[in-house]
Amino acid sequence: MKLFTKLTLFITLSKMAVAGLFILILPLLVEDIAYKYNDFYLREQKKKVLQVIQKNGIDAYLQGEENYGSYTMLKEEYISLEPATPLSFHDTIATMRRLVEGDTLTYRVLSHQLQANQRTFLLEIGKKTATISQYNKPLQRVALYVLGGLIIITIVIDLIFTRLLLHPLGKIISTRLLNRRFPFKTQAPPIKTSTTDFRYLDDSLVELMTRINAAFEKEKEFTSNASHELMTPISILQSKMENMLVDTATDEEQQKRILGMMKTLNRLKKIVRALLLISRIENDQFPKNDTIVPSTLVAEVMEELEHRLDEKNLHFSSQLTPDVALPHLNHDLVFQLIYNLLNNAIKYNKTGGSIRVTDERLPGAYRLTIADTGVGIDPRDIPVIFDRFRKAPRDTEEGYGLGLSIVSTIARYYHIQITVDAAIDQGSAFTLTFPL
Amino acid sequence: MNVLIIEDERSMATEMEAFLKKAYRCELAANAAQAIVKLEDNQYDFVLLDLGLPDLDGLQLLQKARKLCPEAAYIILTARGQLEDRIKGLDLGADDYLPKPFSLLELQSRMQAIARRRFGLQEALLPLGDFNLDLQKRNVYFEQVEIALSRKEFDLLSYMLLHKNRPLTRMQLSEHIWGNLADEDYDSNYIDVHIKNIRRKLSAYGSVEWLQTIRHVGYKIKI
Repeated sequence: MKLFTKLTLFITLSKMAVAGLFILILPLLVEDIAYKYNDFYLREQKKKVLQVIQKNGIDAYLQGEENYGSYTMLKEEYISLEPATPLSFHDTIATMRRLVEGDTLTYRVLSHQLQANQRTFLLEIGKKTATISQYNKPLQRVALYVLGGLIIITIVIDLIFTRLLLHPLGKIISTRLLNRRFPFKTQAPPIKTSTTDFRYLDDSLVELMTRINAAFEKEKEFTSNASHELMTPISILQSKMENMLVDTATDEEQQKRILGMMKTLNRLKKIVRALLLISRIENDQFPKNDTIVPSTLVAEVMEELEHRLDEKNLHFSSQLTPDVALPHLNHDLVFQLIYNLLNNAIKYNKTGGSIRVTDERLPGAYRLTIADTGVGIDPRDIPVIFDRFRKAPRDTEEGYGLGLSIVSTIARYYHIQITVDAAIDQGSAFTLTFPL
Repeated sequence: MNVLIIEDERSMATEMEAFLKKAYRCELAANAAQAIVKLEDNQYDFVLLDLGLPDLDGLQLLQKARKLCPEAAYIILTARGQLEDRIKGLDLGADDYLPKPFSLLELQSRMQAIARRRFGLQEALLPLGDFNLDLQKRNVYFEQVEIALSRKEFDLLSYMLLHKNRPLTRMQLSEHIWGNLADEDYDSNYIDVHIKNIRRKLSAYGSVEWLQTIRHVGYKIKI
């Protein structure tokens, strides 16, 4: 999941959770506030009553009666004064039921004991509970609307800011990492950002890629230089041996030795040539402007290899679509690629075996398969057969050699996908998928 | 014919000289300065030019040399086998281009091909025992009869004739026929098949005693 998506989800969900919690406790909160305010109101009323009694005496209320009681028109509030047995208790505020003119109603009641005229009175001031919570619902609704609005506004602000903040990261990923193909020849200019973390990330990536490139360049340069430097001494040795072969024409034993040396030198020559070829491909030294017709190319390769078929009495068949044209390739390199595969198919075949070249047109690709009935490859070896210098155990002396390494280098150069299907003694099939 | 070998690797130059001196008069130059002095004073038929000289870029020397000695045939010898070098070299008027390491046999055969082309050294027919080879038409004749050889068989026979009286290894022969594609051991055995075919086809007409097998080594045309 992308960082921005994660942040968006987190911001939205966390705000929702807070809002949910608030919605849950809002009624309790509002109720609590309403009751607290009511209790305060009752105490204020009590103070007023006591002031009146202190100023005018209790008879201002009693008017000579034993007790006093009064309530508002809708029985929302009431006040009562009645004699009581002296008990020492503090003021209490409690929710209680009271009978008012035949109606039993629930009130929030403040009870207070007072002394007047050497008697003890109980003062009660009550307010109907229904009136206490009458504004709760609309208050809650307004609070919810305000909360919802605030949450939406903060989510939008958060997302806009996050997007702005993460923009350089997206840019770093898209310009430095996505769709990049090794080697990274050019580096885009530094990404604009005021966030030091991103600046650091971008700089580090550029530095890493530049370093990888430098190491790769060095390796290529070394291979190329080493190969070139080796060519001259090999050339000298070869010339010396050729001359010696003539000079020692009468000495059979000497000639055998020289021949052995020439064979070794030839092997060395082949290795150096193969390395040079690989380094040239990796150095991008081959133009890509030939159009290859696979059926023609396979025929060309077979012209060079035909003589080897007879030796093992091999049967060769090629069933290729005639009108396929693969553009933007180099003839020599694709020739080498097919040559190496067909050469192996012959080399590692069994007497009386066969080689089949087939193809298939896929949407956006062209697939060429070279299958033989030879000694096959141990499936465990398949991942390493393309490695340079990696020698898988094989009956023959030379192992898989550099031939397949060249194959894989050429294939990589043209983004040709190679798959190998093989088993010991069951033959091998190499499939090349050319992008179209 | 006079050959100037411009090569800074001394032992390479002396080996080339040792090989070529049987057929050509050779002189050596180890750098561009020596080469220019020699080119100013002498006429050469062939100039063998190594591109990697210490004092001057080989291709620049080629331009200078062609002004000093325009009649000569120029063959570039180089360890730099790049395609651009090859194209540039041929553009600048080189007659041929041999990437190192090359076989001296190959060098001589290229020189002879150039000689035939440039200097009109067209011996109409090359004699080989009772047979004659026509290098232009690529045919072998016994008296007036044309003997059908395959392309590779003719290549092989004419190459051996060019290097007559010299033992040629199977490896050298297969490298000539298949070039860089030659597979050590593998193709050199196949040379035997070709030789057998040549012997079979020609011996139907006359003696092929001149085509000798040299134990362990390969073959030789002895005439």
